[in-house]
Amino acid sequence: MASFVHLHVHSNFSFMDGAADIGALIERAVSLGMPALALTDHQGLSGAIRFYRAAIAAGIRPIIGAEVVIEAAGTLGGEGDLPPEERLPVPAPVGFGRAAGYGGFHLTLLVKDMTGYRNLCRLISRAHVRSGDEASLVGITDLEALSEGLIGLTGCPGGEVGSAVLAGRPGRAERALRRLARCLAPGDLYVELMHLLTPESPRYVSGLASLAERCGLPVVATNDVHYTTADRFRLHDVLASAGARTTLPGPYDRSNAELWLKPASEMRRLFSGMPEACDATLEIAARCDLDLGLGQLHFPSVEVPRGETPYSVLSKAAWRGLEDRYRPMTPEALRRLQHELAVISDLGYAEYFLVVKDIVDFARREGIRCSGRGSAGDSIVTYALGITDADPIAYDLLFERFLNPERRQMPDIDVDFDSRRRDEVIAYIYDRFGHDHVAMVATVNTMTARSAVRTVARALGHPSDTVNALSRYLPWVRASRLAEVLETYPECRDHPLKAPEHALLIELASQLEACPMHLGTHLGGFIITREPIDTWMPLQWAAKGVVVSQYDKDDIEALGLVKMDILGLRMHSAISDTVAMARERAGESAVPEPFELDPRDDPRVYELISSADTVGMFQLESSGQRNLATRLRERTFEDIIAAISLFRPGPLEAEMITPFIRRRHGVEPVTVPHPAMGPVLADSYGVILYQEQVLRVAEKVAGFTLAEADSLRRAMTKDRSREEMESIHAHFVDRAVALGTTPEVAEEVFRQLQGFAAYGFCKAHAACFGVVSYASAWLKAHYPAEFVAAIMNNQPMGFYSPRLVVNDARRHGIRILAPHINASSAEYRVEDEGGAVRVGLKDLLHMTSRLLAAIERERAVRPFADLADFLARTRAEEPAAESLVRVGALDGLGVTDLGRPPTRDEMLALVPELKAVIARQGVAGDDTLLIAPARAREREDAGHVSGWSPARRVGAELELIGLSLTAHPLELARADLERRGVTWARDLPRLSDRTRVRVCGVRERAQTPRTRSGKRTCFLTMEDPTGLLDVVVFEDTLGRYGDVIVKHRAYVVEGVLQNNHERGLAIVAEKIAPYVVRAGTGAPVRMRRGVGLGPMGPTRPGAGAPEEESWEHADVYAEGG
Amino acid sequence: MGRNRAIKEFDPKRPGQPLDLFEAQNTRLPVVLELLRSPWIMRASDLPPRPIGAGKRVEHEVDVVWDGTRSCPASFTYAGRRYPVDALVQTWSVERSWWDLRTRMSRRCFRVLARGGLYDLAYDRIAGRWLLTGIGD
Repeated sequence: MASFVHLHVHSNFSFMDGAADIGALIERAVSLGMPALALTDHQGLSGAIRFYRAAIAAGIRPIIGAEVVIEAAGTLGGEGDLPPEERLPVPAPVGFGRAAGYGGFHLTLLVKDMTGYRNLCRLISRAHVRSGDEASLVGITDLEALSEGLIGLTGCPGGEVGSAVLAGRPGRAERALRRLARCLAPGDLYVELMHLLTPESPRYVSGLASLAERCGLPVVATNDVHYTTADRFRLHDVLASAGARTTLPGPYDRSNAELWLKPASEMRRLFSGMPEACDATLEIAARCDLDLGLGQLHFPSVEVPRGETPYSVLSKAAWRGLEDRYRPMTPEALRRLQHELAVISDLGYAEYFLVVKDIVDFARREGIRCSGRGSAGDSIVTYALGITDADPIAYDLLFERFLNPERRQMPDIDVDFDSRRRDEVIAYIYDRFGHDHVAMVATVNTMTARSAVRTVARALGHPSDTVNALSRYLPWVRASRLAEVLETYPECRDHPLKAPEHALLIELASQLEACPMHLGTHLGGFIITREPIDTWMPLQWAAKGVVVSQYDKDDIEALGLVKMDILGLRMHSAISDTVAMARERAGESAVPEPFELDPRDDPRVYELISSADTVGMFQLESSGQRNLATRLRERTFEDIIAAISLFRPGPLEAEMITPFIRRRHGVEPVTVPHPAMGPVLADSYGVILYQEQVLRVAEKVAGFTLAEADSLRRAMTKDRSREEMESIHAHFVDRAVALGTTPEVAEEVFRQLQGFAAYGFCKAHAACFGVVSYASAWLKAHYPAEFVAAIMNNQPMGFYSPRLVVNDARRHGIRILAPHINASSAEYRVEDEGGAVRVGLKDLLHMTSRLLAAIERERAVRPFADLADFLARTRAEEPAAESLVRVGALDGLGVTDLGRPPTRDEMLALVPELKAVIARQGVAGDDTLLIAPARAREREDAGHVSGWSPARRVGAELELIGLSLTAHPLELARADLERRGVTWARDLPRLSDRTRVRVCGVRERAQTPRTRSGKRTCFLTMEDPTGLLDVVVFEDTLGRYGDVIVKHRAYVVEGVLQNNHERGLAIVAEKIAPYVVRAGTGAPVRMRRGVGLGPMGPTRPGAGAPEEESWEHADVYAEGG
Repeated sequence: MGRNRAIKEFDPKRPGQPLDLFEAQNTRLPVVLELLRSPWIMRASDLPPRPIGAGKRVEHEVDVVWDGTRSCPASFTYAGRRYPVDALVQTWSVERSWWDLRTRMSRRCFRVLARGGLYDLAYDRIAGRWLLTGIGD
């Protein structure tokens, strides 16, 4: 027997302690002719399912296992309880957090069968999910109880037996070995021998072998594989160092690089005196025969009344729902429901629908806004059950796109819930299905170029400032593109990584492509199982404090378990808030439920959308959508669906927009190769835009059933071999020709389907979103003040910054009232019968929830008279009090001996003094503030109560609350900008196509989406005092000015205006120069928001992002007021 | 007693004072002075930097005849004399400080039995040469 099987193998799912990609491991094992391969990652099975599938696909036997950290077996209590001279060194924790395990020894466990798999999942879950904060450790008694179906190997030199042998303590080693042997079934514990080619290896191997002989246990040879080939050892060292938060050589200080997947000959040569150790690997591989039964579906159990089945309950509910939805009932709806219910019954999915219905019903009962999304909208059953809101018959949505009777795969119904109340839904799910049957789905966080650079730089021992500098300005790209990006991207022009001494760093970082770093928590994915969930998958605590599965969504799908996406949508919260505020003002009956508006044909809504006035609207507000709106000129709900679908990666990549618009406006004729396609593609002017249309075309032209047509669509979407595609092609053409189509026409239809199938968008998804979009547009049209207040209260949301949302409202005639302690509450509120919005205080820098509550409580007693009164009654903290003064929330309160209210400078000078007086006496002395403006600056603007110049006020507003309430920052430089010949956004639509223009704006968004040509184009959205500017920066211009865009906030852009039907309104940039607004004193007006620092770092997410203003290179100056 | 008298006369096993090595300053000072003057004592910080793992060993480049069938040296030539390898005792590999070009070490080591004793031979994978790194007789 000359073969060998590696039974101790770590992939990069040993998070930060493995440098081997699963695919590469399997590929190497196959190329070395090994019949099987094990995967034994640290403390978990995160890579197990993908390993299992890939190994089976590659034709070798997968052996699933894990290397766990287990309590000491050879002594009672922990190592720390022993006298120092008797302690064994415990292995360093591997990876991040408590899941890494510490305080025990390594033990390798392999799964023999399904019982073993379930026991291993349970064992790992028990180790991880314990109360308290202690590190994850498998208990000896747990192992004893759950050892059926498991084979144990004594582990690496970090195992208790190996560690005791190395420490020269054979007695302890023997005790541990005998204890472990008692935990497992006879013959299931092997003494693991590793010859790692260190000077101690011969002593280690012979010591263990003689111990095994004494105890009558078999031996097995392994190599503790951490990388596929010998040359990858550096990556392993780097990962281990970064994982242990230390620098190279890392926590293990390994003396060599022998942990690679060695061929059988090499392993047998290392163990030439002990062939039985190598033979044992084959014997173990033969004993491990796990069948996970992939392909079967496992639904959670649903309680149904006596005498009912899940199907009967579902069908009754659906028929009842149908009656509510269709008045009058139509024969088509009846037929459709009957058909769908039959398919659901055949496939046995009734339980799944009932689970979703149960959750949605709960939300409805509790008044939590929710809506289904995705292909579930194709079903009349989900519509009748109230899960989705778009009528599948009216919008020609096809059930087969959602559930294909030919393919038995897990249906997927995603539901968005009001994000503020999502936790209530989650709590309900846990209560309803049981905490033992529910867990959250994990995501595997992998390395991008930026994180790879940071990981390697840290391991190489660079200080944190250098690490920050080296990773700054790196775009979010794959690590393998690092060298290319540094070479070609303009923002990386002077990047410090280009220095020759960082060549090694770049080389290593590039190799860390998509390396898993740690487990994260999926945004809203829940797994619900019939059996206890820890018999299906290992669980562990996530950083968020929830129990999370070690499997990601693909693994869950492969196992055939039910996964539900309970997503939080802030737009739902905003819509609910708007409706509540509007009803409070206009009366309960005045405001209809916006999701149930029917028909959706309000001309005011379409006027807003078609004039690109869409800031705040769901899915319609992005710069691309606004540009599209100027060309599309939406008139109907179908147009909204088309707009949502057109501006998606697929249709954008296939460049569908241009033919769609040209045909819509009659610039080019609508042509279809086959007459039957005419009615199918009528809505999209002959362009195959929706996936549902692909199905219809195949049905009409080639006589496919819709189920066959969906299979065809899926076949076209996936990467197929040439032969497979040829066979699909021939099949389609034959069927079409049999129906009387000419071969040429059939070929042309197939060519079009093939060209568009992969890029089309699911119409049901767009229709579901369209309902929400229309609702938001309707509210913006009818209750604009409430709408903007609700949007601001639910930040962060949408495409634009709060500053732009507020500026947009102001441009629409809504007065934005500055925050004031006698008028503002925490939230934004509507005042003046819908004519004004009062800014809330919750987003103010340094504001605390205690102070917010104190302000509201005290104001209810009586208004604040002045600064001293405010400080005395609220005990405001000094930073918060200063923020309130600087933003103007105390303007006009009190009176000085000059007979006027104090200026902001005067108040700021008084804050510390008053705080001291209050602290000493408990009260601030006088009731009114009568203190001379000593030590304070002269008033800059005598006409304003604050005494501050507009530039200073704007600067403070931008810094403290992220808004410009006094004026747009560029308003301060209006005179300078007009002198420079700048055109304002408001005037652009009146200019003709191809006019040369110069515009100036503050950057709102800069996006560089992927294009089919592979070229980089930046879509820059800017704002000037009069509106939004959309600038397109093509690759050559981007090459010259990319760094200006990244490093500055406001620019003067020169270019050519596009203003036509085909391309909409945009400026094609030719030159971009930074622009700095300066106050009268010459100081620049900062446009960045201030970030408070809490004990855990910056208090606002995204703070410290690599974005800096640099003033040095700005050559344009403006004077402020 | 001659040189280093204070050190040689120092009694570390005095009863009654297990924690202090010296009774008082006057007994400590002569020992410290002698220690500081001694040419054979060096502070660790004064040691010249050397490759990690190399210690203070002297290494000699040698010619080795390789035995491909057994994957170990067949003989080596040191100081003009040929040493046929009688047996391979042990083999190990060293891979250290790969991130630092100055101190990097990448070797495959062989402890062999040859005439006169035990010899450590190392193949330096960076320089591509054989070194004699130790002799035990």
